[in-house]
Amino acid sequence: MRKPEFIYVSYIETTPERLWEALTNSAFTKRYWFDTEVRSDWKVGSPFALVMGDKTTDTGAILEADRPRRLSYTFKHQLFEEMRNEPATKVVFTIEPHGKIVKLTVTHEGFIEGSKLLGAVSKGWPAILSGLKSLLETGEVLAIPPDALGIEGFD
Amino acid sequence: MSKPEFIYTTYIETTPEKLWLALTDGDFTERYWFGHRVASAWEIGSPYKFSKQDETTIAGKVLAFEPPKRLSYTWDNQKTDLKHERSSRVTFDLEPRGKVVKLTVTHDNLDEGGKTFRDISGGWPMVLASLKSLLETGQPLPPMSSPAAQG
Repeated sequence: MRKPEFIYVSYIETTPERLWEALTNSAFTKRYWFDTEVRSDWKVGSPFALVMGDKTTDTGAILEADRPRRLSYTFKHQLFEEMRNEPATKVVFTIEPHGKIVKLTVTHEGFIEGSKLLGAVSKGWPAILSGLKSLLETGEVLAIPPDALGIEGFD
Repeated sequence: MSKPEFIYTTYIETTPEKLWLALTDGDFTERYWFGHRVASAWEIGSPYKFSKQDETTIAGKVLAFEPPKRLSYTWDNQKTDLKHERSSRVTFDLEPRGKVVKLTVTHDNLDEGGKTFRDISGGWPMVLASLKSLLETGQPLPPMSSPAAQG
């Protein structure tokens, strides 16, 4: 049986440093992560939170912060009740330079069988990471209507 | 046991018509698909192929052709070590969403534990990243000379 996990790979014309900044700077994340701020001091063991407007959507703790190569944190959903009751999961970003391009691999794992959260993040990450690539390559925000993601309650 | 299938969604600032052209025009694919040109009469049941420097790399037949919404074809890798694997299927779904197009690529009918599954799982993210760059910036991704290119 395949493990319930989500993996997404993208290739972006940028540098590992710029990509690291884009993943950890809340002013930057607000521009492509559907107005979401990432909040942390990015030290191993420190708390981590995603805040959208005045709502904390997800929380966790920093597991690894090896700038600009590897970032990981635990990830527990806080907003919708069904998903709030699922155990904490884990997100890993791996950044590998290949000439003028950076390969970004996002792995989100640790889901229970039949996880609702897995369904939601599988729709969310492609949109977030598409917006991230556009912003780094063009300097412009990609205008994805939230309802295009097809996530219940997100529109 | 879940079937092996590969699904990749990306959002591109373009129009469905431009994206459709990018998927079906050989001059276009050559620019972002790492030198591979697609050619077909694009009628249901007609053959299509990808070739690079006059060598056919992928061949199959057209299963669905509904511009600019849905394109589907069978997928037979012409490499000798993959000839024994079954013919798989690729489907592109294009949905306009405001100023962007949501593109979902589904590659299924794959052999369990086959090499094709491994190859395409590494290949699609590169091809689709380069396609997105070309449509949004006017330039495909620069060539990858390092291990990523070998998948």
